[in-house]
This record gives sequence, structure tokens and C-alpha cells, in this order.
Amino acid sequence: MKIKDKTVLQNLGSCGFGGASLVGCVDVLDGKVARIRPLHYDEDYTPEDLNEWHYDIDGHIFRPKMKSLLPPLALAYKKRAYSPNRVPCPLKRVDWDPDGERNPQNRGKSGYVRISWDEATTLIARELERIRTTYGNRAILVQGEGHGETKIVSGAHGCQSVMLDHIGPEKGEYTIQARQPDSWEGWYWGAKHVWGCESHGQQNPQDNVIWDISKNADAVLFWGADPETTPWGWGGLQPSRICFWFTEIGVKQIHIAPDVNYTNAVHADRWIPVLPNTDAALQLGIAYVWMTEGLYDKDYVESHVEGYDWFEYYVLGKEDGVPKTPAWAAEKCGVPSYRIKAFARWWAKRLVSIAHCNGGSYVRSCFSHEPARLEVCLLAMQGLGKPGVNQFKFIEWVLQGINPLPQSEIYPGWGPIYHGWRMSAPKYFIPKTMTPQAILQKDDSIDWYGHVVCSMKREDQFLHFEYPGDGPRIHMIWSDTPCWETCWNGGSAYQDAVRDESIEFYVVQHQWMENDTLMADVILPIATVFELKDVAADIYTGQWNTVVYEEQAIEPVGEAKGDYEAVGEVAKKLEQLYPETYAGLYEKYTNGRTIDEDIAYGYTQSGIPNDEYPFEKFLEQKYLLFPTEKDWEQRPVGFELFSKDPQNYPLRTPSGKLEFYSIGLAENFPDDKIRGPVPHWIEEGDGHFERLSSKRAKDYPYLLVSNHPRWRVHAQHDDIPWTREIHTCKVEGRDGYKYEPIWVNPIDAEKLGLTDGDVAMLFNERGRVLGGVYVTERIMPGVLYQDHGARTDILEYGVGGLDRGGANNLICPTGTSSKNAAGEVTSGFLVGIEKVNLVELAMKYPEAWSRDYSPTVGLVASARIIDDSKEA
Amino acid sequence: MAKAFLIDLSHCNGCYNCQIVCKDEHCDKDWLPYAAEQPETGQFWMRIDEKVRGQVPWVRVSYIPTLCAHCVDAPCAAACNSEAFTRRSDGLLLINPEACTGCRNCVDSCPQGSIYFNDKLNIAQKCTGCAHLLDNGWNVPRCVDACAHDAIQFKEESEFGALLSKAEQLPGVCGLGAQVYYLHLPKRFIAGSVVDLQADEVLIGATVAIEGRSGFTATTETDDLGDFKFDQIPPDEYTLTITANDYTPLTVTANVTVADFSVGDLIISKA
Repeated sequence: MKIKDKTVLQNLGSCGFGGASLVGCVDVLDGKVARIRPLHYDEDYTPEDLNEWHYDIDGHIFRPKMKSLLPPLALAYKKRAYSPNRVPCPLKRVDWDPDGERNPQNRGKSGYVRISWDEATTLIARELERIRTTYGNRAILVQGEGHGETKIVSGAHGCQSVMLDHIGPEKGEYTIQARQPDSWEGWYWGAKHVWGCESHGQQNPQDNVIWDISKNADAVLFWGADPETTPWGWGGLQPSRICFWFTEIGVKQIHIAPDVNYTNAVHADRWIPVLPNTDAALQLGIAYVWMTEGLYDKDYVESHVEGYDWFEYYVLGKEDGVPKTPAWAAEKCGVPSYRIKAFARWWAKRLVSIAHCNGGSYVRSCFSHEPARLEVCLLAMQGLGKPGVNQFKFIEWVLQGINPLPQSEIYPGWGPIYHGWRMSAPKYFIPKTMTPQAILQKDDSIDWYGHVVCSMKREDQFLHFEYPGDGPRIHMIWSDTPCWETCWNGGSAYQDAVRDESIEFYVVQHQWMENDTLMADVILPIATVFELKDVAADIYTGQWNTVVYEEQAIEPVGEAKGDYEAVGEVAKKLEQLYPETYAGLYEKYTNGRTIDEDIAYGYTQSGIPNDEYPFEKFLEQKYLLFPTEKDWEQRPVGFELFSKDPQNYPLRTPSGKLEFYSIGLAENFPDDKIRGPVPHWIEEGDGHFERLSSKRAKDYPYLLVSNHPRWRVHAQHDDIPWTREIHTCKVEGRDGYKYEPIWVNPIDAEKLGLTDGDVAMLFNERGRVLGGVYVTERIMPGVLYQDHGARTDILEYGVGGLDRGGANNLICPTGTSSKNAAGEVTSGFLVGIEKVNLVELAMKYPEAWSRDYSPTVGLVASARIIDDSKEA
Repeated sequence: MAKAFLIDLSHCNGCYNCQIVCKDEHCDKDWLPYAAEQPETGQFWMRIDEKVRGQVPWVRVSYIPTLCAHCVDAPCAAACNSEAFTRRSDGLLLINPEACTGCRNCVDSCPQGSIYFNDKLNIAQKCTGCAHLLDNGWNVPRCVDACAHDAIQFKEESEFGALLSKAEQLPGVCGLGAQVYYLHLPKRFIAGSVVDLQADEVLIGATVAIEGRSGFTATTETDDLGDFKFDQIPPDEYTLTITANDYTPLTVTANVTVADFSVGDLIISKA
């Protein structure tokens, strides 16, 4: 029996940006992907070859595995390649006529007709040229960022920006939708003003922190962290192994969050339920106990902290007459005062580090800079950088140099042949969090601070920008990132924006008919990783750094082309139609190299010693592993050096110390009461009224938690049949439709008259989304939970609209973290909930109820494509 | 020699890899004569049985990978009308898809619901142990290969050594010569905290004792957070007694015959 014809290696990570991990073996049989399985390194390497690292704690050993640790999203990924929701061919919105009525108001409603690649590239080239010559290059908005498949030559996001760099007088002559540090909002906009850690704002460095915890710490606080979910698309299951390791060696794991996330569910020693986005109150209550009972490291604070007295002045109530006592905190955060006191004392008696995976309400809600800053203050009060006291992360290991696990000898990179956007400071841009305002506020300019890109330093947040300034407004959008509505802040407003008449042309290139794609005027079908030849660097797993030669596994599905190739087709068409303007564009775009030549060139520039690791061996073995750094144990632990000698190892803050009073904020935003120099509890302000104390809570009485999803990476993977039949992925309504689960505590379910399997509506004045009720003890009373990123199935577009798919980003706040912090707010906001009558809905929205839909997949492509054979 | 599966639930993180790779192998593709194609959804030759245990704030989720136990005294094979079941030398029990006549007897006879009926093909289907792979160079089935934690192992029974003596089997197939063993199958827990509301403090070091109707007893003390937890105790109706110096003893009941129980914050008062 033949069980495969060949095996190719693919990086199945979902981070995009050319990084991420998850190398799998893809077995191909009869031209189809037969199976996806882990790569067993021990078929080619021994631990000795790789200078294997290990931790030894009293005879307990933790070491990397000799196989890749793929998560289910990677193992099931072939279902995405063969999804009936793939864009089958180039498509044009049926009532978009570039020479007549463009009907922008029908975006999202109209169907699509099949066109050829030649027609599609002609339409794009003509529109691009018309917009450019009519309004100027900057009228083109590039949405070329975000997470997605891990591709290098065929950069999953940003190929169009690579081409557009060659059509202006100089590079960057278009408008970029600048990507926020979307999962790090609180750290980026808050914490870095206390400890100056660049550039995410989370602790940097984190070298050897997990080893230090293993040796020294008593406990790890998982403050909203879910290593069993969030890192899946980035680095697989090594984080899960570390949680088991902590259990094995007796390091306690305490979870602080409104929900029992998937890590808490398996690994936690204790759960402290806290109301969404009230962590700042809990933190202040803890600080109060420490201050009043002398339970903090006074010597450390004296020598390492700037402005402690300001903080103490506030916490003890001398600033506003309100001492931040445990009783005060309990009222805000829902944790009883006796527990806050006990926990504060428990913590002060132990060596405690804090873990993160970025997400949750903690750092993605309004004013998220406050709890993030307060966390740093608490760590500082317990001697940050001393043995067992650090912050670390379970995700994006190595990104921007942060890695709490042993380092590798070699960090390969494919930068010179990466055709995605590079996240550097854009020349002309709007923050992604403000795209709706940029388009809709036509009589007004918008302004903000900072380039907002995650690679920017702290001082960048003091630079002021505005749009449109002296440039044109946006009239065309070219997106390879069509998930704004289901991933960002206030998706309903985004729908209104792209359906505005000022947007004359909206082109999307994507693999699947999903989310924003359904509002485009022209859609280009894009190939998945299986259908392309490429290379990858697998450097986020916390195991062995790897480079992979990815052969093409299968033929393109339908008429798909690679991201890079698709943009190349537009370049060729521009040359053909406008030779005087665009002569040589394709040559410039590709540097005159084929993909094979790109790979060969990229290898020479990858940082891999070519003499030690010849290119021929890379092609022959299809992958290379690199050994652990020699003497990895010698690297100082986390903040160890600063802890021991703050004078000679200062932080990157103005004072060089931990700034409980942030000098940069004080000097640049002296009037900012929401993000002032000292972290505070903020009840409401800067347009956010998302507290249970708000008047809005009368109509919207529940706080919604919306974490990074378990069964998706943001908006990716929502059409995989094998995850959709898992109860925590989708709840089947009585109409057979698979709804996005809404977790409801049994106490609330009884009050609301909800039972398992009911279909309910989450709502506020920004819109309504449906979900399937999952009655569970995994969420505290008074709080509802729904993952973010569900695929939209819109019944009514725009603000006040209705989505059957359960994309709750549609109804989250449109405002940014605070006035001077342009972060997103996508969790911890007020909603109402009520059971819906499916029969009434079906009668009210008959077209939606008759869309081509498969419970195993969700909406399928034919739901939107006008079948010309039927027409005939 | 017969092989067996050993599943250590203390190493299971509930990722569903095992359930999903089983589908990756068997959906969309037949491996005749070992197995016909599995429907895209609805069959779970490897099935994660997921259960939320306890109440706020003491909640855990147990995940139990459940597959055909390849029982030596298999009631399914005995019930078969068409001699479609075959036992391999490695102990794996297969249904020959070409011999199955679709009588459904085996589906009804499996005590743990591990046999599924394929309406389209009119045959019964179940775990094959990925026998088609084992006969073509693989050492273990897909579910074992995909597990990051070695929570599922597949070996000769003798290779497990003393581990099997500590292992249990699922109640339905126990006694049938099941070839699937478990370590750390969940029992019950009772957890809670002790609080002096008047003082607005948790009570540290209070003695908590439980006694079940069956006579099972255990004692512990509240920790620095005022918490206590009795884990892996037998299902039973328990009486909890909380005692502490200067406090009036408190007695409450906790019925964990069916499910785990969080008693919440127990309020204790000064004597």
C-alpha cells in the first residue's frame, strides 16, 4: 500500500510577518495533501549535534523535544487549502462599474461574477493609475500587514507595498495603514514609560527567565495569560510543556482573569476571578496592603525607582482623598477584600514572576496602559530582577530579541527576500485603529501621537501626526489583510467607512471569501502555502532554530496565484497599459530574480554561515537545525544586571530607573488626566464609558471578555470542519447553524432564561452579534465571554448592524486606548444579552438564511458568487 | 505480542491533536482493506471526552482521549453477523469494510460508543490503530505521533512494565480485556476557602476534615490564601468540618457523587 508519494516540509505558522514557527511534514499522495505530521528531528540529528540544552531541578529534567510540536490548527490546515470557501478565481462585484455606477453602498451585499486574471489586473491597473493621477499616490491606502500564513518570497502581507515603492518619485509614496502593536497595547502605550523596555513594552531582556523561575520562584502569576491558546499559531506546544514542567517541579500557577482559560483549565493551582479590565483596582489594592504593612522591598525601591513617593501619595489617598484599600478595590474588581489582603501577603512572602501571552482584557481594553504600568510597579516593589522575580512571555520568543529560553547559536533571517511589509516607520500613514475616522470624518482632520508601529521606541509616542495634512484623502484601498471588521476596534464603523462613496475602488487579494473580502470591488484568488515554493525560518518554538526549504506540495487550487505573483501580474499590466510611466516596473519589483534565484540569494544573506551549512545541504535535507548557544547559562537573567547595579545598567527611561512617575509623559502630556505620569485607576473618560458604574450599564449590564481565540488565530481557521465540531469552537443552534459560543455563568443563565444551545444576541449601541449559548462555570457571574475573530455573516451592515457570525469586534469601542494612546480597545466592554427568536430572524432576513452554507465549514464561496451557468 | 495504549491524563493538555490527526488520516481518504473513508465530521475514532468540573472559583476541565479499546473479549466482534472483525497479531481489532454488511450490531454493543455507523457506505467504522501505517514503516498511530506530551503511548504491553499495574480502564470496557489503559483518571474534588467575615480576613491554618458515607476520611489545613482542596477523592456524600482555635466549628455537606463541588467561601465566626 502506498501511503504517500512524497513529503515536503512547510511552515504552518499563522503569525505572518515572515516569522513564526510550526514546521510540519506534508505527505502528498495522488496530488493531494494526505496528512500533516510533526517533523522528527532525530531522523537527521542527535541531541549532541545540537548542543542540547536542559534544565535539571533536583533530578527533574526539562529539555527540547526531538520533533516539532504542532498545534491542531497546523495539523488540520489542509482543510483550509481545500475549503469550499476558497476564492476560486478573480471576481468582480456585479454592480461595481468603473465607468459608471460604483454603488459603494452595496459593498457586502452584492454578488460577484467571475472574470479572468487579465480582466482583473486590467481593472486594478486602470483604477490605480486613475486614482494616482487624479488625486495623487497618497490616495491609495495599503492594508498590507497583519497575521497570516508564514511566507517569505511570497510575503503574505505587503507585496503591493513592495511594488508601490517603485511607482512614486521615491519609496513610500502612498498611505500605509500602520499596524498597531495590537496584542501588546497596554505594554506599548503604558509599561514602557515605566521601565523603558523596547519595543513592545514587555520586559526586555528575558534571557534565562524560565530557568531562573525553575530554580528560584515559588509561583508564576498568569495574569490573563493563556499559553494553551495564544501561542498556538506562533510556536506550537512548547509553552504547554513548560506549564506541565512548572507543575512537575512545584512552581505554583495562579490565574487571575474573569475566565477559566484553557491553561487555567488544566494547569492552575488557583484561580482568582476578577471583573474584566478592573485589574488596575486589584493591583492598587495589593499595593495598598504592601505599603501599609511594610511588605515591599524598600531598599530596592529606594535605589531603583523614580517617583515612588508620587505613587504612594496616590495609593494612600492623599492625592484624591480616596485610599485604594482592598475594600475600595473589591467594589471595583469583584475580588473580596479579604482575598486581596491574603493574596497581597501571600505574594510578598514568595518569589513570584508574572507570565503573559499578550491577550485578554488585561492589555486590550480602554486605559490598558494603566494596569500594564501598575504590573511593573508591583514587580518593582518586590525587587524586579532579583532571583525568581521577572516578567516573561510564552509567545513570540525571539521577536525583537526577547526570549526567556536558552538562545540559539544562529538566528537565520530571510529579510532581503521577504516581500512583506517590514513594520518600519511609514512615511505616510494612518493608525489602523483610526481607519474608520480617517475615511468618515471628511470635514475634519484626525490626529494622533506616534508612528504606532510596534518597532518604535518610547520617544516616538511624543511625535504628533495628522491626516490628511497636505495630502489627498483616501480613495482606493488595496488590501491583502481583509479582516479589519472582525479583528479591530469598532468593526461596524469600518463597514460604514469602506461603504462610503469616497472609496472609489476596493481591491482585496485573499485565499478565502471571508470578512472584509466580501466588501471588495475586485477580488484576486491567492494560493495557500501548500501551493507555493518558498522558504521559512522557524525561530519561535523555543526548541531548535530551523530554516526550511518549502517545496510546492500541490498544484494551485482553482486559479490561485501566490501573493507575490499576483501583485507581479498587476505590475506587468501597468507596464503593458502605461509603458511610458511604468517601464521596467516588474523588473524593479522582482529585482530581476526568479523565486529560485531569490531563495539562493536569500540564503547568502540569511546569517547562516554558508561554509559550515552549504546551500546544497539545505536543498538536499530540506531543513537545517541550529545548535543551542554555547554557554547559554552564562547570560544574565532578565533584569538581573539592573537589579544588582542600576547605576551601570540603567533602564532606557529618562532617569534610567523604574519610573513610577514617568518623566516622559509628564513633560509631553502635562494635561493628560487619563494617562498621567503616575498610573491611576480610571473610571471613565476619553470617550470610554465601559464600567459597570457607567450609566450605559443600565442598558448593557454585562462586561464582555474577548480573548485571542482558541480555535483560530484571530480571524484565521474559522472554516475547519474538525475544529468546528468541538463544542468550545461552535455551538449548533436549533436551526443547524454553527454559532460562535457565548460563555454564560449558570447564575446569569438562570436569570436570563438561557440554556445550552440557545442562540443569543450580544448588543450595544454599536451593533449586535449573535452567538450560541454555552452555560459554563468557566466564566464568573456578571461577565460574558466570546472569542474574538469569528467569521462574519452580516445581516445588516454598519453601526447598529447585526452579524450572525458572532464577530464581536463589530461592537467593541471605536475609540483608542485613550486620547493620546492610539491603541485598540477590543475586550472588556459593556454589552447586553438576550435570547433571539430564530424563526423571526429567518423571516426578517430571508436572503441571509438562504445563503450557501455548510455547518461543517460555514458560509461557502458560492454564497456570494453569481453562478453564470445558472443565469444562462 | 499484543500492544496496548497507555494514556496518562496528567500529561493531557486538551489540545485535541489526537482527535484531529485521526480525522486528518481517515477523512477524505480510504485505506482499504484496513479502513474505508471516514465522513468529514461526526465520527470520532479518537474522541476527546471533555468535562468542566467544579464551580467558580474552583474549576478544572478534564479531557479523556477515548478510542476503541481493542478488547480481547470484544462484544462488538461477538455481535457481528458477518465475521467482519479480524484480530491482528499485534492485538489490534479491525472491521473489514468489505466484509461488513451494515447490521449495526457492533455499534450498539460497544459499551463506550467507539464504533460509528457510516450511513453512506452502510458500514460500521472505528479506530484501526492506524494499522495501514504500522504495516508501512510507522511505529505508532497518528494520535501518538501528534501528542506533544507523550500522553498517549502505544507499545508492547510488557514494555510498559510496572506502569500498567497502576493504570485503570474506562468502566464500560473494564473486564473485557481492554487494551487501552489510563493513568490519573479523574475522581472528585471538594475545594473552598474559610473566611472570618467580621475580621475581613481569610482564615489560615484552620483544620478541614471530610468524612464520606462510605467511611473515607481526610484532613487538611487551609493554606496562606485560606484555601483547602481535597483532590482525587472517591465519589460520595461528604461531611466537612472546619475547626480553628477561638472559632465555632462549622459543619457543611458536599455531595460529590455525581460531580465535583466548590463549597465557596465558608464563613466561620469567633466562638
